Amino acid sequence: MTTLTRQDLNFGQVVADILCEFLEVAIHLILYVREVYPSGIFQKRKKYNVPVQMSCHPELNRYIQDTLHCVKPLIEKNDVEKVVVVIMDKDHHPVERFVFEISQPPLLSIRFVSMILNFYSDTLLSHVEQLLRAVILKISVCDAVLDNNPPGCTFTVLVHTREAATRNMEKIQVIKDFPWIVADEQEVHMREPRLIPLKTMTSDIVKMQLYVEERAQKAS
Amino acid sequence: MSRGGWRKRADEDGGWGGRGGYMAAKVSKLEEQFKLDAPREKQKEGTSSTIFRGVAIYVNGLTDPSADELRRLMMLHGGQFHVYYSRSKTTHIIATNLPHSKVKELRGEKVVRPDWITDSIKAGHLLSYLQYQLYAKQKALSFPAMRVGHECDGPGHSHQQFDHTQHQPGHNPSIRRHANKKLDFRLNGLDQTAGLRLNGIQEEESEDETLHPAPVFSSGALVERTLTNGHSHPPNGALKPLDLTRGQTPMENGPHQPPVLLAGDKCAGESAHLLRSGNHLASLQVATRSSFDQSVTPVPTARPSSRDPEHPGLLARGAGRVWLNGAQRDTAQGAASPPCPPVDRRPADADIISEFYSRSRLHHISTWKSEFSEYVSSLQHRRHKAGGVDFPGRERLRRQRAARIAGSSAPSGPPIRQPCILHVDMDCFFVSVGIRHRPDLNGKPVAVTSNRGQGRVSQRQGANCQLEMQYYQRKLDPKRKEERDGDLEVTPSPESPDGANPQSEQDLAALSMAEVASCSYEARQAGVRNGMFFGQAKQLCPGLQAVPYDFQAYKEVAMAMYQTLASYTHHIEALSCDEALVDATRLLKELGVSPEELAGAIRADVKERTGCSASVGMGSNILLARMATRKAKPDGQYYLKSEEVDDFIRDQAVGSLPGVGRTMSCKLASLGVQTCGDLQQISMSRLQKEFGPRTGQTLFRFCRGLDDRPVRSEKERKSVSAGMNYGIRFTQVAEAESFLTKLSQEVQRRLQAAGLKGRRITLKLMMRKPGAPVEPAKYGGHGICDTFARTVSLDQPTDSAQHIATEVIKLFHAMKLNVMDMRGVGLQVQQLTPSLVGPAGTAGGTGAPRRSIRDMLLAQRPPNLDSRGSTTALPACLARPPDGDPLWRLSDATDPSAPGEAVTSDRDRDIASVRLFPPPSSAEPVPGTSKGGPAPRHNGGLHTPRHLRTHLDLSIEVPSPSQVDRSVLEALPPELREQVEHSWRRREELAVSRGPLQSAPSQPLASPPGTLVLHVPEQQGQGGPAGIVLALPDFSQVDPEVFAALPLELQEELRSAYRHRNGTHPQGTVVEAKNPLLQLKQVAAAGRTKRRYKRKNASPAKGVPSPLKSRLHGNSPAKSSPAKSSPAKRLPYALKQEHAGGEMKLENGPSTSSLKPDAQEKPVKLTSRPGPTLAGACEFTDIRTLLKEWVTSIPEPMEDDILQVVKYCTELVEDRDLEKLYLVIKYMKRLMQQSVESVWSMAFDFILDNVQVVVQQTYGSTLKIT
Repeated sequence: MTTLTRQDLNFGQVVADILCEFLEVAIHLILYVREVYPSGIFQKRKKYNVPVQMSCHPELNRYIQDTLHCVKPLIEKNDVEKVVVVIMDKDHHPVERFVFEISQPPLLSIRFVSMILNFYSDTLLSHVEQLLRAVILKISVCDAVLDNNPPGCTFTVLVHTREAATRNMEKIQVIKDFPWIVADEQEVHMREPRLIPLKTMTSDIVKMQLYVEERAQKAS
Repeated sequence: MSRGGWRKRADEDGGWGGRGGYMAAKVSKLEEQFKLDAPREKQKEGTSSTIFRGVAIYVNGLTDPSADELRRLMMLHGGQFHVYYSRSKTTHIIATNLPHSKVKELRGEKVVRPDWITDSIKAGHLLSYLQYQLYAKQKALSFPAMRVGHECDGPGHSHQQFDHTQHQPGHNPSIRRHANKKLDFRLNGLDQTAGLRLNGIQEEESEDETLHPAPVFSSGALVERTLTNGHSHPPNGALKPLDLTRGQTPMENGPHQPPVLLAGDKCAGESAHLLRSGNHLASLQVATRSSFDQSVTPVPTARPSSRDPEHPGLLARGAGRVWLNGAQRDTAQGAASPPCPPVDRRPADADIISEFYSRSRLHHISTWKSEFSEYVSSLQHRRHKAGGVDFPGRERLRRQRAARIAGSSAPSGPPIRQPCILHVDMDCFFVSVGIRHRPDLNGKPVAVTSNRGQGRVSQRQGANCQLEMQYYQRKLDPKRKEERDGDLEVTPSPESPDGANPQSEQDLAALSMAEVASCSYEARQAGVRNGMFFGQAKQLCPGLQAVPYDFQAYKEVAMAMYQTLASYTHHIEALSCDEALVDATRLLKELGVSPEELAGAIRADVKERTGCSASVGMGSNILLARMATRKAKPDGQYYLKSEEVDDFIRDQAVGSLPGVGRTMSCKLASLGVQTCGDLQQISMSRLQKEFGPRTGQTLFRFCRGLDDRPVRSEKERKSVSAGMNYGIRFTQVAEAESFLTKLSQEVQRRLQAAGLKGRRITLKLMMRKPGAPVEPAKYGGHGICDTFARTVSLDQPTDSAQHIATEVIKLFHAMKLNVMDMRGVGLQVQQLTPSLVGPAGTAGGTGAPRRSIRDMLLAQRPPNLDSRGSTTALPACLARPPDGDPLWRLSDATDPSAPGEAVTSDRDRDIASVRLFPPPSSAEPVPGTSKGGPAPRHNGGLHTPRHLRTHLDLSIEVPSPSQVDRSVLEALPPELREQVEHSWRRREELAVSRGPLQSAPSQPLASPPGTLVLHVPEQQGQGGPAGIVLALPDFSQVDPEVFAALPLELQEELRSAYRHRNGTHPQGTVVEAKNPLLQLKQVAAAGRTKRRYKRKNASPAKGVPSPLKSRLHGNSPAKSSPAKSSPAKRLPYALKQEHAGGEMKLENGPSTSSLKPDAQEKPVKLTSRPGPTLAGACEFTDIRTLLKEWVTSIPEPMEDDILQVVKYCTELVEDRDLEKLYLVIKYMKRLMQQSVESVWSMAFDFILDNVQVVVQQTYGSTLKIT
């Protein structure tokens, strides 16, 4: 840590790294917990010191990786408002939406001063890790508060950006031919949604809350 | 005729004196042309003479007769006409007008008016130019200088004149006139002598060329024959020079040493030898052989420098080989010539850039690509117009096929269904075009290059060829990469033992640096490569034949090739003048032929029409087609079938992938990657990490043979640029600046030609690498350089040269580089938009018109607003109506950080909290708005002001007039405006009478009864990390309502600011800051708590005190640390009690006595930061305790308390802490529904309903409460 100098401090980047790593774990776990994919493709791994499930399906992993790869620059710029993992039924109507609502302390100057003081202290990072672990644990037990999904579900990842971010997104394609597309209305909106808050974490570098929106009548 | 000075650099000073490949070739070619033209001209004219034999003119500037006419005249009369000025060859400069700088520069030259020519022709013989010289003085200076040397060495004059058959009659007087200066000139004026001698050489040489069948030597050889003087008789034979020298002998070596002139027609071997020995400017080594020519008296060499009295000994007769060091005739070329005037080498001079581009032929070729692209698209366009088009080639192929099918029953193969791209590439285009009419060269190693001689040139001063060679070699040699530390090591001199072979290195140094533009396959077999220096190539392949460029032919052939392709299809992408991509998918389908057949037909066609062979590679995508072409070459075709792709590509070297050049293959090699197969092993993320996202991905795909680029006949332009890295030598910053300006103009020209404007400007500079030789081995080249680039983004796209130049010069200065080391300059404009886009489209900055609507929409929304729901928040603050209370006040903005305070009138009529946004902050961002924002709102009188000033200035505190936007003021209601203006007036008075306001004594001013005035808190009391949060008002003074109405970002910002500030305070302070009201109340109501409880108990509601309230007023944790840490807070309160006691009562009265809702709400509001609190409790456990107490201790909830809880929950929602909300709700549910009293259940339902509404508003869905 001491090798890092002031110039290396790019908080956006650090936050983006942390969050994307977390999101990857979380998405895999959600897919497992919500039984979007057969549990056979999942392997038990350890992350944040807790057991998590991760898919071994290369194409699924690639999709998730690519998606997060594209999300990362947005998080760096604090352009992301929400990252949503939408689980849809056979008719592509969402049944559940796992919403990661992200907000970063926007005041740069303050962030800088306070961050420089304590950013690279291990306490902060371990604190963040604790918080993330809590979220992960919450996800792994979320089936307790959620109804079962109908069979044949698919999933997709949506990103809600702040204001003008979409404009830049069109310009910059991080991965070629993996562009962002505007989400269908039907993917975004859910009939009779019910909201189940799962976890809120507040740290100095990022604030995130995870809640699930669930369709009242899943079977239909 | 605006020939700028840059060309003069060619043969001048400081290392530029020697001649390198390009200019030398060009000049000699021009001379050739001249020679060829001359007889023709003479024939045409009928009359001719040799008046001007030995005269070579160079026309500078506008003359009458014109330069062309002069050229003709010179042709007719035996003279030479130089398009490029050469100090060594040009004898006279013809000009009618010269700027001062040029006069200085040309000192030592004969600058003559054009009349001299015409008059001489009229006169029929060469007149003395003296009467015609443009500047007499200049001549006078230079001429004697030459003579000086002669005089002091001996009886020069008579000799000279005697010997000089073409001597000018005017010489003597001028010489004599300056005889007294001779010695000086002799001593320190070697340069002038040299300069003069050059003239002599010039004549001699021209004579040589015209009269002698003798081999014409490249300049290096020619300069050896330097002994003749100014207008000496040209040495036509072995004897004549001897005579001549003898004439000069006395002045050179003394009468006793009969010198030998190394001239004549048998110099061939000699000069070759000379060359090999390396004519370095600094230490010219001249080797002569005494027994060099039997026909010439075997006498030692006479060198001009041998005039130096110290050297005669060296010239001893019989010396087998004499190496002389010193300022030899090379000095003539400039090393020692008068301190070379900077004007000489100004690339900024004249219109060098447009000239460079209009004349640079290679540049010309590079533009052909776009020309052919245009051609292709014009073809397509035409087809669209015509509605149909005939493809002769296609038809022919169709017919052939039909015939063949008719002939043989079975079709030749299944037609291809998958995409098929053809890559058509001419085989060593330049060569095959160059020799298509020279069958004798067929099958021989041939190279196209500008050098046509021996492949050798002399080396120039300052150039260190070896160093550069080594540098490049090292650079290319990845194994030795680690040795290279980025800097240049000084290479061992040739003599040093570790130098491999001095002689061979010497040879290397003298090799021509002209590049081999293209070479035939035969030459390639010998190891010659395109781009190699010719000299080196010649070494590798001694039989290598040089073929000159033939640009016209290239164009013809290229056009023919494109026409051929276009006769098949219009799906053509022009890659360059000799290669193109053809998307044959549809064509093949239509014709039903196999790719091989098509390729064969195309190749046959091309061969037929152009006489040159082409190779065709075919594949399912561009990448594969291109790689197949490699295999197809030469003169073949190869179809890479999709099933073979994997095997094929695995063995390909990475370098064969398009876009992988030396640098990248080096980098890849360092990753252990040699072939595409190796590359396939590397993950995309790794590649992206190493090479950037784009390139990484491309590599990842390419090495798997994946390529989805379409064949595009028209490609979008990404950038427009202009650059020059040839001949850039500046001496002053001003030159560089003017050069940049010129380059900007060139860019402007190009931008306008393309109809584009750009927003990003990149300046790229090549700077001589520290330690690299000042003069690169290649003449005028850039040598070893470091490249620096800087980019600037403009607000608006531009195509204005002026604009670009300003920006670029700014960048240039910011780079702080030494102009002397500049070797290349490039300008690039990116982010292009069509210049036709109207201002509306461009104003948004994105430039693309389709975005403008969105831009407008976005612009209409207040900045910083969240897209969700909060849109109304800010206006809500702003537009808070006066609420029937006219007592609006402008708040003070003396604190610059908080100029944007809200004026909101409190619900409580008599407690008018006075706040206003001086400038509506949405429309008028004021300093600090973005940061401190409109956050602080003061709660009418609830909080004790710390400053007496408030009371003084009771009614109005306004920003100083200068801070108020007039237009805003005018927009205010009349009363308000009046008040503001009034307050200004008053302030002035105050200032006058009492000086600074702050020191004003406390003195309550008359204020309307029942009003309470708020003020902006001063921040001076705030300790802590003042640096950042200085500007923030005390937290207690923030109105949560206003705060809640702020955009989320602002809220967060403020919150974190407060958090930060609090973090540095002791814990107690934090609480106090959080919940100042409590503290205030404690003080105020310290003794009253009981009473209040009593009252409360006595209140009709219930006898049990609400825990919420009791918590509020009694149990708050804040109570334990009441304002201890901030006595300042208490004091003002006390003061306030004194001064504004009445007002306080108004406030305190209701709250203590009747617990009105507003009084209750306030604590909640105020305690909402950082993070919502319920009656001071923030942590969930506290909340739970509190709630439990509440529900269990009183049988029936009070409305106020319920509202408080709702409020708290709402804040949780707004604070995006759904988890806590969920927990709270669930806890309450459990508590309340378990409660025996059904009122609690109802209360919960009420709370839940309210919360759900808020959640619904915020998140679009409701909480699922199970």
